[in-house]
Amino acid sequence: MSATARPDAAEKLRGGLVYGTDLVAPRMRWGALVLAPPLAGRITGVDLTEARSLPGVVAIGAADVAGLVGGATGDAERPPFPVDAIAYPFQPVAAVAAPTLAAARAAAARVRVTVEAAPLVTDLESVFPDWPGPDARDACLAAHVRARFGDVDRLLASAETVVRETYRTPGIHQVALEPHACLAEAHGDRWIVRTSTQSPFGVREDAASILGVPETSIDVDGTWVGGGFGGKGASFLEPYALLLARAAGVPVRLALTYREEFLLGRSTLPAVIRFETGVSGGRIVARRVRLLLDVGTSLPGRDFATGYSIGFLLGPYRAPAFEVEGYAVRTHKPPFGPHRAPFAPQCAFAVESHLDEVARAAGRDPIEFRADHLWTEGDRTPLGQPIGPFGLPAAMAAARRTATAWRARCPPGHGVGVGVGFWSTGTGAGGEARLRLTPDALLIEQGEREIGSGSVLVGLAAVAERRTGLARDRIRVEYRSTATAPFDSGVFGSRTTAALGRAVDEAASALLADLARRLGSEGTVRLRGDRGEIEVVGTAARRTVRELATPAERAGPGILAVGKHYGARGTIDETRVEAGEFYPYHDFTGAAHVAQVDVDRETGAVRVERYAAFHDVGTVIDRSSALAQVEGGIVMGLGTALTEEAIWGPDGRLQNPGLLDYRIPTLLEVPPIEIELLEGYPGDGPFGAKGLGEPPIVPVPATIAAAVRDACGAHLTELPLTPERVARALKSA
Amino acid sequence: MSAAPTLTVNGRAVALTGVPDPERLLDLLRWRLDLRGTKEGCRTGDCGACTVLVDGRPTLSCLTLAHELEGRSVETVEAIGDDPTGRAVQDAFRDAGALQCGYCTPGFVVALTGLLKELGRSAPEERFLADLGGNLCRCTGYLSIARAVRLARERAP
Repeated sequence: MSATARPDAAEKLRGGLVYGTDLVAPRMRWGALVLAPPLAGRITGVDLTEARSLPGVVAIGAADVAGLVGGATGDAERPPFPVDAIAYPFQPVAAVAAPTLAAARAAAARVRVTVEAAPLVTDLESVFPDWPGPDARDACLAAHVRARFGDVDRLLASAETVVRETYRTPGIHQVALEPHACLAEAHGDRWIVRTSTQSPFGVREDAASILGVPETSIDVDGTWVGGGFGGKGASFLEPYALLLARAAGVPVRLALTYREEFLLGRSTLPAVIRFETGVSGGRIVARRVRLLLDVGTSLPGRDFATGYSIGFLLGPYRAPAFEVEGYAVRTHKPPFGPHRAPFAPQCAFAVESHLDEVARAAGRDPIEFRADHLWTEGDRTPLGQPIGPFGLPAAMAAARRTATAWRARCPPGHGVGVGVGFWSTGTGAGGEARLRLTPDALLIEQGEREIGSGSVLVGLAAVAERRTGLARDRIRVEYRSTATAPFDSGVFGSRTTAALGRAVDEAASALLADLARRLGSEGTVRLRGDRGEIEVVGTAARRTVRELATPAERAGPGILAVGKHYGARGTIDETRVEAGEFYPYHDFTGAAHVAQVDVDRETGAVRVERYAAFHDVGTVIDRSSALAQVEGGIVMGLGTALTEEAIWGPDGRLQNPGLLDYRIPTLLEVPPIEIELLEGYPGDGPFGAKGLGEPPIVPVPATIAAAVRDACGAHLTELPLTPERVARALKSA
Repeated sequence: MSAAPTLTVNGRAVALTGVPDPERLLDLLRWRLDLRGTKEGCRTGDCGACTVLVDGRPTLSCLTLAHELEGRSVETVEAIGDDPTGRAVQDAFRDAGALQCGYCTPGFVVALTGLLKELGRSAPEERFLADLGGNLCRCTGYLSIARAVRLARERAP
């Protein structure tokens, strides 16, 4: 149990914090988006006349943008409102602001949008029924990546056993409980927006590019964030709200309805994964992996998803020869967006389930077979990226022991499975940290807001505590807007404590060095705050901060120290890359999970009875936050494994845009979870830490699928493992 | 002059005069009374973030019309700590580390406070968990919330 409560606990428990949805301002108007009809096709008209005739209503569309931004031209490929064609059903085509929300909604309903409907393509597999050929150059492709080494064709042809399988994974939504919301103002050449975001600087950059205005003319101030999970990483509502505020001349608040979250949100989209794996003498001799990834209306050349995600199909297993190819396929859906560990859980599900099948075909124990092929420190990935200290083999060994113990006491008809997944801690574009030491407190000035994981409020403070020795209750994170905050690229990629934490650590070290000089102390100094004012303690001397500060520092902002960490990118062996861009992973981490399930043979319903997780964390920076990340990630993964699926109907429309039909886990479905954090495999983060926000979700669907197979023999190749799919697989098993 | 229709919110009388007939309690609280501790999630009764107490019972304020509550008493998260049971629930959530982003937290705190007062702390744990099954949380994985329920049952007056 946590010894220290989170610093935001008391206010969160009494409802005292302002989230994006809570934003209000004097004279504020309420915005609403005007959604296109549920079609795609050429726009023949967006008539705002009637909406504009309503009292107090401002309405803007594509034709108004140039005037509102003073003639600036933004990114022509992604204007705020579509100019020629509707790219996906319900795409926002205009926006309105009115004195009340009801009036805004009524005005939006009076905008007439006419579209020359084109066929709506939302089924990924209908785009390329015969899989794209090696030279596919199609308007429907946003990216093509390909890499190989070794003679895969020859090795597959001569292998003793070759297993070919196809896996399918669905679209999934982030489902942060707080819908997207922001409040914008425009004054002269200044654009100001308060917003619930994982990346204030990302929003600033993105909004500047869309509007065609300088980044420095936009000030982004984060609010408390009611869950991100990747869905609040880039700008979304902000450009609309800024344009509305400019048009209205007063602050405008804009929020999505929850239905709009499902219809318009950028989430992870469906995929088809094909494997060919050859085995001889019980060992893998060659792997071929192909990925067809739906990226919605992601722009050609700007798809990040394929080159990033496909790497998760390459590991974490060795093979003497490898070939991988991925296509990003455009469909009439919103652009692909990241969802906690983007696409990695789906990849791990496919890789693990397939290698189980391969092991069985080769007459080997599935867990032992995978353990035999696992990457270890010193290996290189198929793209030539070096594996540093890597705790996954130890995690898998622990998982195997647990699985063996559970299986020995597992009732008949129940099953135990093991799944693993790896992760590469992100650094993004880096981050900067600014510390100010006052007589009473050490302040960490930040633009990033706490999104819930604790990575900002707890993680950064814990790093400063560990470096300086000052107790956590004397360390405070102070928020700044992008106008004055040190740069940071955002709370994503499990990077905050690990990468931004490095900048904080560097600033803290610089602060201690400065203080040592002032104290005239040889060696390192530490801070102490347990005797009133903060003291600087050296080997031979001890003075208060007040005594060491200059008059200017005492009168003003305290003793300043800065740090920066722009991160390291992994390297790729480019001789192996034949097409496209692969994301250079580095700083590898991983986890092995164990699940015990009960499968109802009549209904196919899966109940998870117990769960265990073994995580390479590098170094534990804050134990209770770390455990909370693992618990939360696993349960989110249970949704990916068992229930979560965006369903597009034959008419191309999303069938389940709501929480009743898109089921996320509830309190009633959660098994007991045992967690072990493995230290001793240091990463690039402060004190050897590795990212932990995303790894916990990665192995979950794979682990549940392995347990289901162990329980009843059903081999499933499609997520989620709904009762219907399990029952069908049981019939054919 | 006839008495204007009112309801009580956190012990204070609130006139319903001028409140449009179909207004939801959630909107009355958040936008007329500035009590934005009650969170707006789905607005369709599926997430539980907007839970308040109406005459002591956990109620989804997004599905409740303000005018239906004439003469009744509403308690929100802002006042829940004034009540010893509510205080115990808040402390239990804090000590169990049962919150992350905090968006579902007011709904859980209010719901559990209402349940403890309605069922009594000796009611079976499963009963509490079943009733809280309608409150969604995407961050914690619920295990810490279940621990908070246990702590709150031990500590509630």
